[in-house]
Formats: sequence, structure tokens, C-alpha cells
Amino acid sequence: MIRLLPVFLLVCCLTLATVLDPQFERWHNHEDTSAGVLVALMGDSRRLFAHEFFARADAYFHSGFYPTIFDSQKPGSESDLVEESHAKPARAKEHEEEASFLGAPKDWMDRFGRNFYPVVHTHLHDGNEREMLPWLKLSADMDPHEIATYLTASYWLRTSLGQPAEAEQFLREGLRANPDSYDILLELGRIYFYNRTNNFVARNIFVLARKNWRRQETAGKKPDAHSYEEILGEMVKTDRAQGDPKLELEDLEELRQVAPAKESLQEQIDEAKAKLAKPKPQGH
Amino acid sequence: MDTNRNPSVNNVFAIAGIVIKEMYRRKDFYVLLTLVVALTLVLGSVSFFNDQHIVRYVKDACLLMIWLSSLVIAITTTARQIPAERESRTIFPLLAKPVGRGEFVVGKFMGCWLSCGLCLLVFYLFFGLLSASREHTVPVLAYFQGMWLHWMCLGIVVALALLGSVLFTAPSSNATICFIVVLGILFAGGHLNGIAIQMRGWRGALVYAIYYALPHLEWYDVRELIIHNWGLIDWVAWVGATIYAGLYMAFLLACAWLVFRRRTVTL
Repeated sequence: MIRLLPVFLLVCCLTLATVLDPQFERWHNHEDTSAGVLVALMGDSRRLFAHEFFARADAYFHSGFYPTIFDSQKPGSESDLVEESHAKPARAKEHEEEASFLGAPKDWMDRFGRNFYPVVHTHLHDGNEREMLPWLKLSADMDPHEIATYLTASYWLRTSLGQPAEAEQFLREGLRANPDSYDILLELGRIYFYNRTNNFVARNIFVLARKNWRRQETAGKKPDAHSYEEILGEMVKTDRAQGDPKLELEDLEELRQVAPAKESLQEQIDEAKAKLAKPKPQGH
Repeated sequence: MDTNRNPSVNNVFAIAGIVIKEMYRRKDFYVLLTLVVALTLVLGSVSFFNDQHIVRYVKDACLLMIWLSSLVIAITTTARQIPAERESRTIFPLLAKPVGRGEFVVGKFMGCWLSCGLCLLVFYLFFGLLSASREHTVPVLAYFQGMWLHWMCLGIVVALALLGSVLFTAPSSNATICFIVVLGILFAGGHLNGIAIQMRGWRGALVYAIYYALPHLEWYDVRELIIHNWGLIDWVAWVGATIYAGLYMAFLLACAWLVFRRRTVTL
């Protein structure tokens, strides 16, 4: 009987191979092998991990000063990391000075325990922002459809860390997973405009972002209006950098329809009109 | 002479010495150390966005593994001490005079706790080298404070596991219960007061009483301070935490001795 055991094991191995081979074949034929394996192994649970890794990046941004599931947070408050990197960077300093989520110590033990964990609200700076990048990369690997991850990592890479090439590569990864994302295109255009000063390519990318935004609006997907304003605003800047008042005027007119600050825009429109009215200098 | 009331230091250290020798003859620590080193080096070799200066995630992972490994070593080593002595029948000659039960309990505790200290020393030495190689600086005092508090935490855990080993018959059940209790305290122990305030009434009072009665092991987990280079902990708080841990160790050991003193040792 014991002699039959190796034969039995061999048959088991062969049977298992016939079952697993098509699975592996399918994974290899997948457009992104690593993502295919992750999806096969973890299913939708990887999104939970992605969220957890993003929260970890946020915790690193605050050098460990971060609420746990037991700590209360303001309802509807957005992650500082998202807010500072691409939503409202101007609020960063103000936010840093906000009161702590910890509140006053509840008892003497609580007061004493605060000696052993970070209790001061700070943000990473001076290039230390790089410390949160591994968590953002892991988060994107876990959930390639979470656009905020790409935008956040790209913002820090192209600004504080001065690594626009890495930012572009990461954004292009995001674009492959989310080809309709106007936000990723907007961020990509910014790399070309601010870091590479390639106004022509930057404008083309912003135009593509606008096209994607409009397509989503037509499809009734309710895209973010603030992003549309930002796309148009960046287009106006590229028009100015290119010295094209005609396009600038067109884009400003379009921006006026959606922007809340219509008066200041009217002044800019008037300036653009004045530029257009001026006769062009004769070339030699 | 009643040795239960006047434990001899020599007897205690003789028993502790045997435990330490057993510790370095076993392979548990070497396996865990190899795993920690290998996994940390693999993690450290990963490049994110071609940036070679990223270090905190490696420190984070390394410290997490050190904490888990040290808890495994502390609980499993302690949980098997008394049942193993009973099983191999060596407890009978050991408990013959002049070694009393109090000396036996304290000796086992000292052996396990000192073994954990030696393991921590090696683990933190590796952590310091890793940190120095990436950050080009070693905050020695901060790491010393962190390691000391970690060791104090393990002291409470060892005393708890020793108490468990005289209460429960099987080492496996003792180890499982200890892991659940320790991880539970580390996860939620510091937040029970907030939960109690929300509950109100007698239930809230009960949770608050548990909050005060539990040993606050989470104080000794200062990983966030070390990872993010927050600097030194207030020395007064550090001494306070040491005294608090010492009191808990003494209390748990006294409980273990009281239970073990009246227990009939049989096979």
C-alpha cells in the first residue's frame, strides 16, 4: 500500500497542474500581471488595504500624530494629505494650527500616557515628504482606480521633492488604469507646464483633460466642477505663456461661465481684448 | 527556615540561569532573528520612486517585527516553564528544600525576563545598525529609552504568562489567552476611558474601573516616537512608567506565588 503513495501523489500533482495551468495562463495574458495576481488572490479586499495604506501615508505626513478608530473626527473632514496636496494647499498652515483631535486629557492616566506618543500636530517638510511615498505606491498597487493616490504622490514628487520624471511615470501608470481621468491629466499637464516649461504639450494635455471632463458631464456622471475650473485656469496660464491672446480670451470666456470670481475675470478678459486689439509688430 | 517567605537570591539566580541557558540552546530566537533580519533587508532593498533616502517605512516594519517576535518569545518561553518542569518531573527535586515555591516562581520570572532582555539587546542592536546605515545618525538615548520601556512591557507580559501557567493546565491555552489579552490591551487599553464616558451609568463605571485596573502596556509601545524621530521622552515620565511596570510585575508575581503555593504539584 505504501508503495502506491508516490504514484497517488504524482497523480494529484498532475491533476493540480491541469487545473492551475489555465489559471496561470490567464494571469500572464492579463494586461498587468501583478494586478491580475493581486485581484485573483485578494479580490475586493485589496481596496480595504489600499485605504489603510493611504491612511498610513497620512499618518506619516503627521509624523505619527494621527487619530485611531477610537478617536473622534469632524464629520465630513477630508484627509489633510489630500487637502494639502491637491484640494486646498493654501489652507495647510491654517490647518496645522487647528486644535488637536485628542482634546483635553480625560484623566491623570490619559495625561501621563500622552508622554509616550506624538501629541503635536505637524506636517512633514524639507524633503521629508518622501517618507510617505512607499505607502502611496502600495496603496496604488492595491487599488489602481483610487485617483487621489496618484495625485497626492505626484504633487509631492513634482513640488517639494523635485522629481517630475518619477511623478510623470506614476501618473502615466494611473492613466493606464484610469484612461478617462481628467484629474490625472490635469496633474500631468502641470508637470509639463511648471516643471518642464513645455507650454505646447501642457496645453494639449489640459485640452484632453477638458474633453474628458465634458464627456463625463454629458454622460451624466457629475464630474467635479472645481476640477473644471482648475483645468480652464491652467489653460489660461499656458495661453499667456505661449503669448496667444486669442486662445486666452476664448479660455477666459469659458472660465467666466463657471468661476465664482467673475469680476476679476472680467478685468483679465478686458486685458486680453486690449492685447488682441493692438496691431502686431511687423516682422523683418 | 521558611524559604517561601525569605527567598534566597542565590536560588533565584540559579533557576534564572537555567532558564537563560535553555533559551540560548533553543532555536526560537535564532529563527525569529533571522526572519526579522531577512525581511527587513528585503524591505530595505525595495526602491520607491528611485529615492534612496526613504527610511521610515523600513524602521516601522523592523520595529513591528521586533515587537511581535519579542512577544512570541516572552509568552511561549514563559508559558512552557512550569508545565515542562512538571512533565519532565524535574519540579519535584527542584521544589525540595532549600528551594521554595516563591524562589521558584521568582527564579523562573527572572530567567524569562532576562532572556527577553538579551533578545531585545540583539534586536535593537540590529535596528540601530539599520537606522545608522540609512539615516547616518543613531539617537542612542532615544533608542535606549524605547528598548527599556519595551523590556518593562515584556516584564509585565512574562509575569502575566507565569500567572497563567499556574492557573491553566496546558501551555497552549495559556499562551493563546495571554496573546489575546496583551494584544487587546495594546490595541484598546488606552481608549477604554473614552468608551466608558460614552457608555455612562454603571456600565460606564465598570469599563472605567477596568481601564484603571488594566496594566497600560500601550504606554511602553513608543514606536511612533522612534520611527518619526520625535526625540527623548520626558525622563520623569520614563521613570514613572518603570515604577508602574515594576509594581505590576510584583503584583502579578505575588498572585502567581499565592496560587502556586497552595497547589499540589502532581503529574
